[in-house]
Amino acid sequence: MIGSELRLQTVQTAPVSLMVNGQPWSGDVPVEEVLLDLIRSRIGLTGTKRGCESEVCGACEVLVDGAPVSSCNFLAFEANGREHTTIEGVADGDQLHPVQEAFIRNVAAQCGYCTSGQIMSAVALLRENTSPTYEEIAQWMVGNICRCGCYPAIARSIMEAGEELRAKGGANGQG
Amino acid sequence: MVSPFRVVTPTTVPEAAAEMERLGDAARIYAGGAELLLLMRNGLLEPDYLVNIKQVPSLHGINWDGHVLRVGAAVTHRQLERDPQVHAHAPTLGEAEHHIGNIRVRTQGTLGGNLAFADPHADPGTALLVHDASVTVEGPRGPRQLLLDDFFVSTYETALEPDELLTEVQVPPLPFGWGWAYERIERFYRPTVNAAAAIAANDGRIAEVRLAVGCVGPRALRLRELEEKLQGLNLADAKRVIGESSEYLVEQLEPVGDLLGGADYKIHVTGVLLARAVEQALARTGDRDDRQ
Repeated sequence: MIGSELRLQTVQTAPVSLMVNGQPWSGDVPVEEVLLDLIRSRIGLTGTKRGCESEVCGACEVLVDGAPVSSCNFLAFEANGREHTTIEGVADGDQLHPVQEAFIRNVAAQCGYCTSGQIMSAVALLRENTSPTYEEIAQWMVGNICRCGCYPAIARSIMEAGEELRAKGGANGQG
Repeated sequence: MVSPFRVVTPTTVPEAAAEMERLGDAARIYAGGAELLLLMRNGLLEPDYLVNIKQVPSLHGINWDGHVLRVGAAVTHRQLERDPQVHAHAPTLGEAEHHIGNIRVRTQGTLGGNLAFADPHADPGTALLVHDASVTVEGPRGPRQLLLDDFFVSTYETALEPDELLTEVQVPPLPFGWGWAYERIERFYRPTVNAAAAIAANDGRIAEVRLAVGCVGPRALRLRELEEKLQGLNLADAKRVIGESSEYLVEQLEPVGDLLGGADYKIHVTGVLLARAVEQALARTGDRDDRQ
């Protein structure tokens, strides 16, 4: 019963221990803080960008336990005990992820502000499906806006990266 | 920035209901946060407490009990979109779930949150109405079950009392041999108008039909008079009757012009989507997979 009373305390800050790109981080965060601020300001990883703050644009996209999330609209205390991948954790050491290589090869960015989120979304898609059709890519990436209009190069990059991952035998083992 | 609040994390439904009773108007249920946090970040809602129901295990299941698909209120759109039971027993819902927001919104947002939030520009409610879905809500006075049609009241307004929470959605399958359809057009990633149809056919004619439309006015609605008028008609006649129904649609749907479209435009699109939905549902009659 004591346990139940403890659980039902209301809290203003929460202790958070999480993994980011394979590295542990621990600290207390106010419950109203969003994951984007935890990642950028407390952990210091600034590749994740602040965009529309409305779950629409995808610039702030990170993977939480492998699932794509808008870090601008995700309470940081929920990150406790979970594994996070940001753009800084997509490459394997000096070896860029096939999605990153394809983006560079196809010049799939102009200003580059949305690119972190585009790549996180693409990585999440290819983990589920290494041979997506153009329509499947368009449906999955609808929440990743590129106002420079690099969509054709982005879609081509995802298809090429998928091909490379298929040749390597799957999308796992990265990030 | 979000103004500060406190979080309480119950692990059972009675605990959650007790917290809602204790904290009253100062509290909001926090399930996925996809809609709630948006409003809070824009300063449109400033609760002192969030009652976090994510740790209540009974709210996370998708179960087919042999008669009805039971969906816990905290099940995410992504879970529904990917669950074969949903596509087998409630394909209209499965299709609607696939179109919600984007992959991140579907990962985070919950069915219970979507219905309880009662934003008129939503997908699942319209689909669920043609399944004659019902919901269970629970509070300090115990659980009660009501039809989704009675749960929806108006824009951002449901039959929930301030100390109650939505716990489960029950989705009966369509009768054997019925066809279904879910149609929408979208702008800014939300449906401007959506329509769902479920149809039993007899010799190419509509024997029975259920129609629902969402996003046009204050809430998603069944169009029961139009359903009656379509009985016995073939596709061509059904389309003609739908085309002649704009006055009825205006009266029933109470169209509201908003960022996504003007009232006249929404009514026009409603007619187009209803005709498409009826055609699609008719084409699917008789070929449903057997239920397991």
